[in-house]
Amino acid sequence: MPSTHDPQLLKGVLSLLLLQLLSERESYGYEVVQRLHEIGLIDVFEGTVYPALTRLEREGRVTARLATSNAGPARKYYRPTAAGYEALTSGTASWLALVAIVDSVLDRPIPTEPIKGS
Amino acid sequence: MDHSVTLRDRLRIERSVWALDQRLYDLPRRSRIATRREVRQNLLTAAHDVGATEALHHLGNSRQLAAEYRSAEFGDQARPAWMAAALFLLTGQLVLTSLLSEAAQAFGDGIVAASPNATGTFSWHGIPYLQDAVRYTVSNGERTSVGGAWTPLAWIIWIAATILVGRLWRVVSIRRRREVR
Repeated sequence: MPSTHDPQLLKGVLSLLLLQLLSERESYGYEVVQRLHEIGLIDVFEGTVYPALTRLEREGRVTARLATSNAGPARKYYRPTAAGYEALTSGTASWLALVAIVDSVLDRPIPTEPIKGS
Repeated sequence: MDHSVTLRDRLRIERSVWALDQRLYDLPRRSRIATRREVRQNLLTAAHDVGATEALHHLGNSRQLAAEYRSAEFGDQARPAWMAAALFLLTGQLVLTSLLSEAAQAFGDGIVAASPNATGTFSWHGIPYLQDAVRYTVSNGERTSVGGAWTPLAWIIWIAATILVGRLWRVVSIRRRREVR
């Protein structure tokens, strides 16, 4: 399966993605992974997402509740806290500002050869 | 959800959860239990969805996953290795004490072997400065012994080596960071 992204690039914004998805709908770990796959991040696996959710919970950005499930043990559903919404707002603004700057550089045509330095 | 989860699948999932749990020994008990339950539940759901083999494959290597969980729990700062420290201290004590006991025993056997009816007091000094002398009192070939304990200097070296092996000085920097927060 070809990689859809650079894992290092994603690492920095994974928490933002998780907060955004959870702000849209509270979900449990495996469901979050499936939702990431649905948006096109097909090579983000459980081993990356579960600890990221734990980290967000430790940081107080998400809160969790246990809900009974028909398919086995109770599921742990996550949703953002007030701090999570704040982090999402400021993080999104930072990300979009960075993307605008990076885009403005990467949108330029690629020269065949660099200009010689003097 | 179209895959049935067999008993074998359940066992494979439990094995994977157990392997992860073993690597999370330094997490607080509550977090460890919560992690175990959550991973098990997610694995079961994934196994129903894509099959146990695929679910376990996607979870990845338990060592790496445990490192991610520990990092999520404690942050990215370097932490002490309590298990390595405990293992070093216990194993080191066990091995060296056994070796030195055997050596002292051999000394006592040597006295009786050299002179079956020996009488008197004999000392084996073991490792100078680190071990008290073992004193054998022999009377007509019958022997009793006292001594052989580690000296205070040996205990200082043991403790220093344990701190080095477990990088236990990191506890201080972690406490300081917590106090700053």
